[in-house]
Amino acid sequence: MTSLGDTARPELSDEILRLDNVIVHFPVKMSPIQRLLQREELVVHAVDGVSFSVRGGEILGLVGESGCGKTTVGRASVRLIKPTSGRIFFAGQDISKFGGGKLRTLRRRMQIIFQDPHASLNPAMTIGRAIGHPLWIHGLAFGLQKLGSDAFGRWVQQRVLSTMREVGLTPEEQLYEKFPGDLSGGQKQRAVIARALILEPNLLVVDEGVSMLDMSIRAKVLELMLDLKHRHGLTYLFITHDLAAAKFICDRIAIMYLGRIVEIGSARDIYADPKHPYTKALLQVIPIPDPDKRKEKLLPRGEVPDAVHPPAGCRFHPRCPAVLATCGWEGRDFVDFLDEHLSDPKRAGEDESTLGPIEHWRAEGLVARLETNSLSVEKAVERVKTVLATAPVAMTRAVESVSSLNRTVTVRFRPPDLLLQTSIKNRLVECLLYQ
Amino acid sequence: MLQVQDLSVHYKTRRGFVRALEEFRLDAMPGETLGVVGETGCGKSTLGKAILGILPPGTHVEGKILFRGRDLTQLGNHMYRRLRGEEIGLIFQDPMTRLNPLMTIIDHFVEEIRDHESVSSAEARRRAKEALVSMGIHESRIKNYPHEFSGGMRQRIMIALAIVLKPSLLIADEPTTSLDVIVESQILGILQDLKRAYHMSLLLITHNLGIVAEACDRVAVLYAGKLVELGPVRNIFHKPLHPYTQGLLASIIHLETKELHSIEGGPPDLIAPPSGCRFHPRCPYAQPICVETIPPLVEFEPGHFAACHFGNKFL
Repeated sequence: MTSLGDTARPELSDEILRLDNVIVHFPVKMSPIQRLLQREELVVHAVDGVSFSVRGGEILGLVGESGCGKTTVGRASVRLIKPTSGRIFFAGQDISKFGGGKLRTLRRRMQIIFQDPHASLNPAMTIGRAIGHPLWIHGLAFGLQKLGSDAFGRWVQQRVLSTMREVGLTPEEQLYEKFPGDLSGGQKQRAVIARALILEPNLLVVDEGVSMLDMSIRAKVLELMLDLKHRHGLTYLFITHDLAAAKFICDRIAIMYLGRIVEIGSARDIYADPKHPYTKALLQVIPIPDPDKRKEKLLPRGEVPDAVHPPAGCRFHPRCPAVLATCGWEGRDFVDFLDEHLSDPKRAGEDESTLGPIEHWRAEGLVARLETNSLSVEKAVERVKTVLATAPVAMTRAVESVSSLNRTVTVRFRPPDLLLQTSIKNRLVECLLYQ
Repeated sequence: MLQVQDLSVHYKTRRGFVRALEEFRLDAMPGETLGVVGETGCGKSTLGKAILGILPPGTHVEGKILFRGRDLTQLGNHMYRRLRGEEIGLIFQDPMTRLNPLMTIIDHFVEEIRDHESVSSAEARRRAKEALVSMGIHESRIKNYPHEFSGGMRQRIMIALAIVLKPSLLIADEPTTSLDVIVESQILGILQDLKRAYHMSLLLITHNLGIVAEACDRVAVLYAGKLVELGPVRNIFHKPLHPYTQGLLASIIHLETKELHSIEGGPPDLIAPPSGCRFHPRCPYAQPICVETIPPLVEFEPGHFAACHFGNKFL
């Protein structure tokens, strides 16, 4: 490839990207009436204090379920989103507050690829024009157009064709004039990669870049990405929910859960011996394509909770199979447990009349309260204690007191231990088990 | 239980007929989980739609779909309505295509039950509540609307709705594709438990071979509207006969993957599908006969069929 000139590729092992305690909160859309009724401004805690760095020529995988914030981290990294707080460094430069022209210059060096190649390509633009488009956009900025538009046009076309060959979009002369609708899914994703590559970026953020492709062609696109890494020293932030693909392609991985990185480090070590209970759960559910290796799975309960009110302490604690009493138990955990208890006709018995209905319970921070006029509070306290005895041991142990005052029953939990990242076996883990 | 005989489904489009399924054969036994796998455009969803009689109007259908002795392709609208839900349950990929956003969850069940059986509203509500609680939906939430539930809960609600009338056949079209991996695993577990509890047959339509390995008894592999291989799950995974099945299995990326494999080329245009074996343009072993003659489905081992001229030569 002919080089675009001025920007030398950073050396391998130079730090290309660094995020320093990045927080991204999105405001929750509310009507004016909701706004009046709501005491505090509600925000989605999409990313809540994420730090990591990516070295040149490295592939860092960002893995997690939907809503864990991986896409938001990716978008913030290429500054499609401005972080609420925290700093983002690209090649040593703090880009977290860049705007307008500075961002445009920056984007030459960092590109992003999205999940759906079809949605990423303008259906009315030929493949050749689409791939060359960034050169026109950025050509203005770095003054190559003084060549004259004809000469520039020919130069662009040559570069487009050579990039198409590079990503295996062949026969390139024929495909140049095609429209996205004429291409298969795999070809479209190659075109999107070519378009990102034509500016010779240093960093490529790939957001679920192969998830939509059929299995029989997914491998080809992954191979292409690895190949480009080796040939050009490209650095990737590889965002995916597919742990198997991540294992194959990534040097290091970061496991995200509800806006936090729970485990980050060498991919080889994490796959061989996952430490965080959430990482263990994720690895366990990957289907094994061998009917002789079917096994019972110990799955975390329920689903990822709402990021508007993330759980206290470790955000995984309500679902964690290895949870401790100090992990962050709070009032609503008790209310959730009670709801489940009362819903089960086999267990509820007369609790419904002593403790219910569940709607009368209020949770606030470490406390769950029942205000009642009709029920006997003394009896309710006794029942709460009995019900708690059937709760998960960690939750029962976390209860500081069950008390009554006037017509209110109060269940109070102990405050959680402070959660810190611990360094263990080539990785950082955020879990009390290892602190 | 279910016998699909020489079924052809051709969709009418402006460019011509799309031959989505061609002379397709399949049978499902009582109580088994039959996986139907293939990639985009292979006809696997068309099969599900054809069985349920929900193909778009103007679609050209040939062949027979026998369900407990009745040919479904000849069934009138009224009879079909009774059959759906009562004898054949359906689970879609996206629960919101089945759930009405303006109806509470419990009302969906009451409507479904009372459409099919003459029971009192109170009785219908009691059964609805039971079905929902058995799927882990708390009683305090059964009067909520669909949007108030998470994706996994909606999927469980849809499963509860599909089985509330205890159908003998459940068709699940990509039931977990839009779900996160942990929830996917939970839902698959639920489907397995239900199948055992009610002795239902499950037709699991999916592109995910990992799920097939974990959940199915037998597997049907589709390519470009044709059945290319059918057999017990162990045979398919350990001794695949058809080159397409072999390629598909090799291309799975799992935790033990050391080397990536893929199948050259892309799926064919089904308006003008390739002659002979539809896989021949991508097949590493293709011979002149593959271009000329359509390979018949041959039983190479008891219960293990493949449509390849060279059968087990490429093992």
